[in-house]
Amino acid sequence: MIELSSSFMITAYVMLIAITIGAIAALLQKDLLRAAFISGAESIALAFFFQALLAPDLGLTQAIVGTVLLPGIIILGIFKTRRTEEE
Amino acid sequence: MIEVTIQLLGFIAAAILIVVGIGGMLFLDNLIKKIIAFTLLSDGVNLLLVALAYREGGIVPILLPGMSISDFTSRAILVFPAGIVLTNIVIGVSTTAILVALVIMLYRRYGTLKASVILKGERR
Amino acid sequence: MIESISNLWSIPLLVIIPMLTAIIVNFLYDKAIKPIAISSAIVILIISIISPYGYHWFCGHPALNPETLTFTFNPNIFGYKLSLEFIFGPLQHIMIFISSLILLFCVILSTIGLTKHQGPYIALLFLLFMSSAIVIMVNDLYHLWIAVEIGSLIVVGVAAASGTSISHKAALKYGLFSAISGAGLAVSLALILGLTGFANISDAIMYLKQFNIGEMSTVLYIAFGFFVLSWMYAGGLAPIHPLKSEVYGASYPHATTLLQAQSKLMLVAIGIIMLRLFGMLPFVKEVMIFLSVITMMIGVIMALIQIDFRWIIAYLIISHSGFVTLGIGLGTYEGLIGGIFQAVNDIIYMTILLLCCEALFYFGGKTSTKEAYGIAKKSPFIATATILGAIAASGIPPFNGFQSEIILIQACLKEGFPEIAVLILMVSVTTFIALLRGIYRIFLKPPELQSYDDSNVDLPKVLIIGIIIFIVLSIIIGIYPDIVLRFIIPVVKEVLSI
Repeated sequence: MIELSSSFMITAYVMLIAITIGAIAALLQKDLLRAAFISGAESIALAFFFQALLAPDLGLTQAIVGTVLLPGIIILGIFKTRRTEEE
Repeated sequence: MIEVTIQLLGFIAAAILIVVGIGGMLFLDNLIKKIIAFTLLSDGVNLLLVALAYREGGIVPILLPGMSISDFTSRAILVFPAGIVLTNIVIGVSTTAILVALVIMLYRRYGTLKASVILKGERR
Repeated sequence: MIESISNLWSIPLLVIIPMLTAIIVNFLYDKAIKPIAISSAIVILIISIISPYGYHWFCGHPALNPETLTFTFNPNIFGYKLSLEFIFGPLQHIMIFISSLILLFCVILSTIGLTKHQGPYIALLFLLFMSSAIVIMVNDLYHLWIAVEIGSLIVVGVAAASGTSISHKAALKYGLFSAISGAGLAVSLALILGLTGFANISDAIMYLKQFNIGEMSTVLYIAFGFFVLSWMYAGGLAPIHPLKSEVYGASYPHATTLLQAQSKLMLVAIGIIMLRLFGMLPFVKEVMIFLSVITMMIGVIMALIQIDFRWIIAYLIISHSGFVTLGIGLGTYEGLIGGIFQAVNDIIYMTILLLCCEALFYFGGKTSTKEAYGIAKKSPFIATATILGAIAASGIPPFNGFQSEIILIQACLKEGFPEIAVLILMVSVTTFIALLRGIYRIFLKPPELQSYDDSNVDLPKVLIIGIIIFIVLSIIIGIYPDIVLRFIIPVVKEVLSI
């Protein structure tokens, strides 16, 4: 049986890597729609990190706002403008 | 050798997010990309505040029945940054919404998302 | 001995009434907007006049000092006090009175001038007033950050509301930058909270005085850097002044009166907080003085090369913010009095000029020096008022600009900066030249015969009444400066006694 704090430690390591990859990958996409989705995935990783840092309430808020609301607004903007980045 | 704690990992992740966010806002040309970079920056600030409140061996600040008050106050993590983070999440959403609305209006006029074209100086 | 503490009734009202009005006018039918908006602006003006002085605590509590039995903020008594706190004192009294007076005229003029989307626009004006009222009343970093963030979002909205492509661009630039520096202010809030454990500014200062922070002062310097960044973008100081001056020039002139009042209030509030928190660190005052000197110079030089009267005034507002920050950056008794007094005077005489600029919109909407001419023949009153405003702005004796500039010059000479005193004089003279260039072209140059239309234009009476009120205020303060100084001096003594 794994102790609770060490499981949080593993979570933190995994989420640190996930956040780093997600943040950089979101900004490197040519397809803006994909960038918005990846930033949503980064928000999920951040929500788990909040959980590991003993702030479960913030984790819930971040999960809802960061994965649904923020990418939703950005996707709305992408549909009203254009999907790919110009050269 | 510094001991690796969850708090330290949180600070590292926050620093990465803040650096990537500010770099993206300053150096990327696409306006939607700039807005995505802003959400990353705002996430980084949130993570910094939450990691600041963390306390090694602490508990979630919820007073359950059967806990002694003195034990609770000596072990619970700081609650004040949580309030700041909630405010910051809300402000981040509203800032994003306003920026996206402005980008849509400017796209209708100029037909492009390139900041180097839209934000160029204009004779008045 | 038990003392009872009660929150002051007027502070929540000053925040909630603008907020409620902003929500209500969004949903109202067109004809109902005007009475409700004007009556709530009048209520705010009355509250700001009759309110007594006091505090409002949101959470936490003032600690009782066992020796003197008075309420103090001693960090030793409680480990973590939150004490989110608003103050209504003499400084808040004079500042909120002037900005609510401007809010009243601004709201009335926008109900006359705008034909569609009145509701959301008036809501933005009320929220703009609310952010400036909060930022001058706060004594904790949390509300300071919220006020600066909300204030910059509302500035984006007001700038975009004028509907031209220049204003959309200015709004987008300001929005993108405010996103960066708002995050910076949050980081500095986090750093000070982590260093001292207090969000209340008085408590944090007390902690920094009592305990030696030693090598942790690097953290304070980083926090100071972020503070300076938000000071620069909220007030429009020099290296990033194009952001704010484009906002001033691109939005409607009557909205710019409120925008410039808000940014002067932000400069005073954040400047005093910076002086209190970081004043004991070396190089802090030097950084503030350097920023204000380059702001004064760049602003006035940019004003000289503009061809549009609105943009001349926009850059002059930037340039004169440098006076305010110079006074606060000096950090002495005379300097602080001069800086805050200059903020009050600046709001008044820039309002005269901007209201005259608003009057030009009723003569065909042309404010460029190449397109508009001969207005003085159509309306001698507006021409006279603009010249009086220009005289007040350049610090010529019977008007109020003179009184604060002379205090600032004395403060500079006393601190051993004669160069800056000369610079203040030069900026004043150049202000007059820049304004007179615009005034001559627009008002006094004879019209070309074929394009001159003799039609009579009716200016709204509110505009004329507003210009007269602000000119009278300017002359009264110029002759009896004690009317304003008696509000400022106790505050300055309090700031310097810490």
